[in-house]
Amino acid sequence: MRRALDTKQKVGRWAINGVAGAAMAYLFAPVFVIVLFSFNNPEGKFNIVWSGFTLKNWANPFSHPELTDALVVSLQVAFFSTLIATLLGTCIALALSRYRFKGSGAVNLFLVLPLTSPEVVLGSSLATLFIARGVSFGIVTVIIAHVMFQVSFVAVTLRARIRGFDWSLEQAAMDLGATPRRAFWKVTFPLILPGVLAAALLSFALSIDDFIITFFNAGSLVTFPLQIFGASRVAIPPQINVLATMLLMGSIAIMVVGLIIESRRRRLNTGSERKR
Amino acid sequence: MGTRNNLPTWSGPKYSRRDFLVRSGLVGAGALSLPTLLAACGGGSSTTVDTKTLFFENWPGYMDEETVGLFAKETGIDFKYTEAFLDNNEYFAKIQPALSQGNTIPPDILAPTFWMAARLIQLGWVQKLDKASIPNFANLRDDLKNPSWDNGNEYSLPYQTGIAGIAYNQKVTGRELKSVEDLFDPAFKGKIGVLTEMRDTIGLLLMAEGKDISKVSTFNEAANAFDRLEKAKSDGQIRSFTGNEYTKDLSAGNFAACVGWSGDVLQLSKDNPDVKFIVPEEGGTSWYDTMVWMKGSENGASVSSWINFLYDPVNAARLTSFVQYMSPVKGVREELVKLGADGAALAENPLLFPDDATVKRLQTWGGLSEAEETKFDERFSSIVGA
Amino acid sequence: MVLVAIGVVALAADLITGALAVLLFGVMIASVVGIIWVAIMGGIETRRALAPYGLLKPGILWLSLFFLAPLWAMMEMSLSSKKSRFDFSPSFSWEWGNYSRALTDFGPQFGRSFLYAGIATILTLLIGYPLAYVIAFRGGKYRSLLLGLIAVPFFTSYLIRTLAWQNLLSDSGPVISVLETMKLENLMEWLHIMDNGRLINTPAAVIGGLTYNFLPFMILPIYVSLEKIDTRLIDASMDLYTSATGAFRRVVLPMSLPGIFAGSLLVFIPAAGDFVNAKFLGSPQTTMIGSSIQDQFLVQLNYPLAAAMSFVLMAIITASVLVYAKFMGTEDLT
Repeated sequence: MRRALDTKQKVGRWAINGVAGAAMAYLFAPVFVIVLFSFNNPEGKFNIVWSGFTLKNWANPFSHPELTDALVVSLQVAFFSTLIATLLGTCIALALSRYRFKGSGAVNLFLVLPLTSPEVVLGSSLATLFIARGVSFGIVTVIIAHVMFQVSFVAVTLRARIRGFDWSLEQAAMDLGATPRRAFWKVTFPLILPGVLAAALLSFALSIDDFIITFFNAGSLVTFPLQIFGASRVAIPPQINVLATMLLMGSIAIMVVGLIIESRRRRLNTGSERKR
Repeated sequence: MGTRNNLPTWSGPKYSRRDFLVRSGLVGAGALSLPTLLAACGGGSSTTVDTKTLFFENWPGYMDEETVGLFAKETGIDFKYTEAFLDNNEYFAKIQPALSQGNTIPPDILAPTFWMAARLIQLGWVQKLDKASIPNFANLRDDLKNPSWDNGNEYSLPYQTGIAGIAYNQKVTGRELKSVEDLFDPAFKGKIGVLTEMRDTIGLLLMAEGKDISKVSTFNEAANAFDRLEKAKSDGQIRSFTGNEYTKDLSAGNFAACVGWSGDVLQLSKDNPDVKFIVPEEGGTSWYDTMVWMKGSENGASVSSWINFLYDPVNAARLTSFVQYMSPVKGVREELVKLGADGAALAENPLLFPDDATVKRLQTWGGLSEAEETKFDERFSSIVGA
Repeated sequence: MVLVAIGVVALAADLITGALAVLLFGVMIASVVGIIWVAIMGGIETRRALAPYGLLKPGILWLSLFFLAPLWAMMEMSLSSKKSRFDFSPSFSWEWGNYSRALTDFGPQFGRSFLYAGIATILTLLIGYPLAYVIAFRGGKYRSLLLGLIAVPFFTSYLIRTLAWQNLLSDSGPVISVLETMKLENLMEWLHIMDNGRLINTPAAVIGGLTYNFLPFMILPIYVSLEKIDTRLIDASMDLYTSATGAFRRVVLPMSLPGIFAGSLLVFIPAAGDFVNAKFLGSPQTTMIGSSIQDQFLVQLNYPLAAAMSFVLMAIITASVLVYAKFMGTEDLT
């Protein structure tokens, strides 16, 4: 009996692993296509049929100024919106996780609302406000729109991350004679910093990639996703894939650095957490 | 060009930016033609400031890089050229919030299709062209002069004119197509595309019914064509409604046939000889895109020199040999012949210089009243189903 | 601070526009800096009492201005009417007709959106759960790495990913040729996945795209809830229920329900409002409500109708979330 169960368990184990492996392959199929087609040498205007290997797209990745310009716009938007959103979102997360106060439940709900509304509703409603008030669309409206969804995102993810934090540490530092300011910068800040950075990075990625909300609020401004959307209808140069692959490698690099730092940190925080 | 670093920054009589630009313009204009020189001097118009910059937002694939570079080089104008005009209605919606509130949009010149140009003129969102500084205006083809909505071409000049007909991929169809009815051939079920440009799609269907689209002025006259389109959609005959992107599906073989624009398809067939374009035996629509000068733009002199440049037959012929649409400029055919080889072949191409039999099959939409146009557009958008 | 509050009310009530608004904006930013300053420098007593509100204020103000105020503006718009086709500032007139038009003219699009989003949610659960399970319990020291790998595809652009699917599924693409060599076309046709020998421009392609694009939103919350489970608990339950499936059903699954709940919301809601997948992978018969709203707003310029459609979409989603929350017995949405 015991024996039979073991084989059955083994089969089950392999089945689940197989499904997980297939899911991974599914996740990576389009990525493979994107990277592969950055080396394509398309015959016409559309980089959709494989017609030969070339390195020339990688030799001049910036040969399409409209693409490069759009990427620069996206980076600018993402930089400013992430900066503002991280500042505002961190404040909210600190308030929620550190203090008990009246109305925190309502604040919680309010924060989740933008994350649980469809993007098309967020984008069109904001655009409605701008149109009704005669605000002209441009980089400012796009930054405002991005901050709107990023604030909630930063606040919610950061709050989850610092939920279990022991605030008495800061108190202890002050008891030992540190000024509140010193206690904040020397104790609290370093502790929440990794969480803040992680939330900021993710919200940066959200901003760079946002299409739907931006589509409604950009006016004549062209961000990278908007440029791809326009291009997808008339010509898809392989440089799109080159730039996308570059973005991909950049974010993988950041992720790997993050992982290394985290594992170092874990090794330093001696044994106590070595469960599992 | 001069370097601005040489200018004293501390005190003393400084050149204003404008002085400087006009001067450098004059110096650079030594080799230029008279009209450009006049334009560079501000053309005598008191309101326009010559900033020596120009921004033209055009349809995709609608100009060759050589023309862009040549113009910038010849005139010293800082010429920004983009191709983000993808659809008349969509673009209109994009610029509407700014223009309806009296703000300006970045481009100086746009290339709306004739009916959209009429709307922009009616809304007062475009400026009168300074024709005194566009001497090449004389080269405009007579049949395109004085449209009913812009008598005397005060506000608009044609950019290119073309034909909407049927494009097909012979590799997929396996036969030659001749008629609008071929779009409804059950053998091509799910492999047919039609344009989101309502006048072209509905125009072809109306001509298949034997109607003259230049005389269609009420929605009721066109109701049948809309019904037929809706049925083809719900039967799954139509795979998608497209703007410019039909060329992608056509060359990839996702479309067997679709409604398309002559020049696009001719361009495409250079890469892919299986792709063909025909004017159906029932007829094709003839349309033209215009150039209009947007309200609030201060680069009037540059606008004039640009239009004048394009209306020079030599430049127009170069453009034609790239875009493969019909030029609104007289004398292009002769210039194409002079180019030899490919150019000379184009001069004989019936889609660029249609023979009388083809011309008879081409029709242009007349004007629609605002109320009727609304009915057309609403019905069409309910079918497109977006 | 009082000044800022007044300013915000004025802004929200749209009394002030133009240069003054910019000035107010500057004041708001300054107040953020000021609040941080007070929070760090102020006396302990005042800090304690005021700090949470001070910290919350700037962010909440931002959300009120650019999330709540727009919803209000949209509600007004949805009850407004246009005087003529090119009337770009519709006036408020209790125009309920916009709502009846939204429901009658766009019924199929609404239906399709919720159907596609629902199927996509179930598919992401079926694909995502095993993956999250394997990473959480069998990932060992590679857990972080594996989790990172899941995020990798989502660092390329959303649109480019969807275009890549267009590529993979096209009539002459690799998926079709694999299916043809495996002689699976007839099965696929029978399952209504393929239509007339094509994959692209079918409902299946749209649902597939939605499933793909929102998959990580299912995997991550499930992973988080699985990770919290103590493995010793599973060992104990294995002894108790003697079978792995029993242990899974009675211990692991219930404990991962919050993750499933959060994940399905995070997939369903954006999927129901999406229009990119329908646009790139669909056909005229698969348009979803997102594309209709986009079309009414950005092409037809019918702002009142688009606003009414947005509100109906919001209402249906909120209602279904509440029902779902009741069904799952969860009250804490976060």
